Amino acid sequence: MDQLIDQFLVEGRELVQQAADDLTALADRPDSAPLIDAVFRAVHTLKGSTGLFDLQPFGEMLHAAEDLLGALRKQALAADADIIGTLVLCVDQAARWLDAVEAHGNLPPDAREVGLRLQRDLRRWLVPLGSAVPAPAEAVDRSWLDPFLAAQTGLPDGGLVAIRYAPRDDCFFTGDDPVAVLRAVPGLCALRLGTQQPWAPADAFDPYRCNLIFEVLTTASRTEVQAALRLVADQVQIVEVARRPVEADVVRDGAPRSLRIDAGQVDALGTIADEIVVANNALAHLAAQARRGVTGDVLVQGLLANQLDLDRLVGRLHRAVMRVRLMPLASLFQRFPRLMREIGAKLGKDVGLAIEGETIEVDKSLVDGLFDPLLHLLRNAADHGIEPAATRRAAGKAARGTIRLNAQRRGDQVVIEIADDGKGIDPADLRRTALKRGLMTAAALAGLSDADALDLIFAPGFSTAETVTDLSGRGVGMDVVRTAVLRLGGRIALSSLVGTGTTVRLSLPVSVVLSNVIVVACAGDSYGVPMDMVVETVRIPAERVLAVRNGRAFVLRDAVVPVLELAALLGQTTGGSPGDLRLLVVRRPDGLVAVAVDDFTDRLNLLLRPMSGLLAGMPGVAGTAVLGDGRVLMILDLPELIG
Amino acid sequence: MSVRLDGTIIRLEGRCHVEDAEPLLVLLQAEPGRIVDCVGAESLHTAVIQVLIAFGPPVRGETSDGFVRRWVAPVFAKERQAP
Repeated sequence: MDQLIDQFLVEGRELVQQAADDLTALADRPDSAPLIDAVFRAVHTLKGSTGLFDLQPFGEMLHAAEDLLGALRKQALAADADIIGTLVLCVDQAARWLDAVEAHGNLPPDAREVGLRLQRDLRRWLVPLGSAVPAPAEAVDRSWLDPFLAAQTGLPDGGLVAIRYAPRDDCFFTGDDPVAVLRAVPGLCALRLGTQQPWAPADAFDPYRCNLIFEVLTTASRTEVQAALRLVADQVQIVEVARRPVEADVVRDGAPRSLRIDAGQVDALGTIADEIVVANNALAHLAAQARRGVTGDVLVQGLLANQLDLDRLVGRLHRAVMRVRLMPLASLFQRFPRLMREIGAKLGKDVGLAIEGETIEVDKSLVDGLFDPLLHLLRNAADHGIEPAATRRAAGKAARGTIRLNAQRRGDQVVIEIADDGKGIDPADLRRTALKRGLMTAAALAGLSDADALDLIFAPGFSTAETVTDLSGRGVGMDVVRTAVLRLGGRIALSSLVGTGTTVRLSLPVSVVLSNVIVVACAGDSYGVPMDMVVETVRIPAERVLAVRNGRAFVLRDAVVPVLELAALLGQTTGGSPGDLRLLVVRRPDGLVAVAVDDFTDRLNLLLRPMSGLLAGMPGVAGTAVLGDGRVLMILDLPELIG
Repeated sequence: MSVRLDGTIIRLEGRCHVEDAEPLLVLLQAEPGRIVDCVGAESLHTAVIQVLIAFGPPVRGETSDGFVRRWVAPVFAKERQAP
């Protein structure tokens, strides 16, 4: 059951996110049929899976949304901002309920009321269409479903419809033959017979009173089932069941955790496991030789070779397992747009959230550990950073405040920035507050640079808000955020310009960031360069490179780009390869720079490991990566190398 | 008549309708342990099926009613095979 709920939460969030994204896109293109279809499918699937649990208000709300989307799909209605807005509210509510289910295992007490209100909102467009508006159903007992499903094996994959048919006890008198009724249901794949009451003793048995209950699973659609059972509709419950391929039973200890893994990664792990078995067989062979008294070089050679093999395999296994743990930041970031809408609404501020870099993959521990700190920073930005609309307009800014949540990979680090375009933080204010709170003496404060004064905000017991607000001031300060980031092995820094905004930058060293790396050849060696440092790769005839004073340059789309030799940057002799030049174009703060290499040899996804020990301070090297054949590839930090 | 006593065996034959439930019940109550033979049954009404489930007599043979054979008959008591 826990496993089911976990899966439901993971998939539910994905569906909610998908629906939210598509609704956002729909707002720009309200007549896009593919978008309407996509939202419809997401809502429909989510509704189906709520049926597995005791989440009736949830399912009913989604049902209303599905009806509305169905009307849009059939073009009985045209999507407008109002309709899309209501659907967004509904999707937001779905996300909130998923959070509640995760936190408490159930919907909040007001769910029925909230759900009914949203249903009314969603259905108000359907009323003029004359669509049947089903009265919200009374509570239906769905407790039969789980044990029934659990008892079934060998069911087909994909969506099923579960039916519970409890014929009225006088149905034989009215001419019903329940088994004959069920014959009409197409696609039957399971049928279970039960009784409504315990059987009466033999002498009191009434053969004309129906005491049977039929529980049925079918691959037919809900509509087909409804059509087949329309004459006994009052005696049946029909539930759509979202099913997935049967999972292997896994014994887990502790709290259940789930991780969605790409099938290819599981295959890769399987391959490594096979090779370890082979290596183990070789070791067994050596052990048998030793037992037979073989000694000396033969045995030593065998052991050494075997040890190398195992060493390589264990390394590969380790990397493969680490890769399994990687997940995109999207699973973290996608929870914030809704929360920001809520925060903005509570504060009465118009705040937009722009997200970038959510495709970057990081270790799962980071995704898990960053939610609270990031949420706190976003709240702070909305609450303390973004000014009220009137103030913003007076300052010549857009009325709508913008907060950017942006992730970038820099070598072995993930840098996450939260930047607002609000009023900024005045170091003088921070100095005053610190003095008032008795954190430092006036003399010490006067000696602080402005940048150091901004750091005061991370001091324990510091809060700049004059009034503790409902949102930001729950006794959690920036010091707690900093501690959380430090615990993840990261750093946090804040920069701010009065009147322009504040940027908080988290740098988290993640030893297992998967980087897309371009492999280049240079003076007989291979080096890796992270793709995110490369603007483009260019191949030009040597004669297009011009001598400019004592340097070289070429013209790239009307811009003059200086050309440097990678070999020279690495302190090696320039080979001066003949023919075309192969250039990596890199962006630097002062413009583009091209770096000439001998060849581009490959593009790989690699796990970047930071340099450690003596090599940690080596300039221009972002880390190392191990190639599939066991070679170690140096990953260059080109901007740093250029200096 | 779709329900017939043949020695110690109750035979269900042809189409068994709702009204066959009562005679079947009477035969089973009269002598518990009687075997029910379904080979000749072309279709079984729910009321008849209900009697077979509630009283659990050993059921012999398979009905030609495919739906009942596939989905319902597995819950009938089986006739114990002679050792």
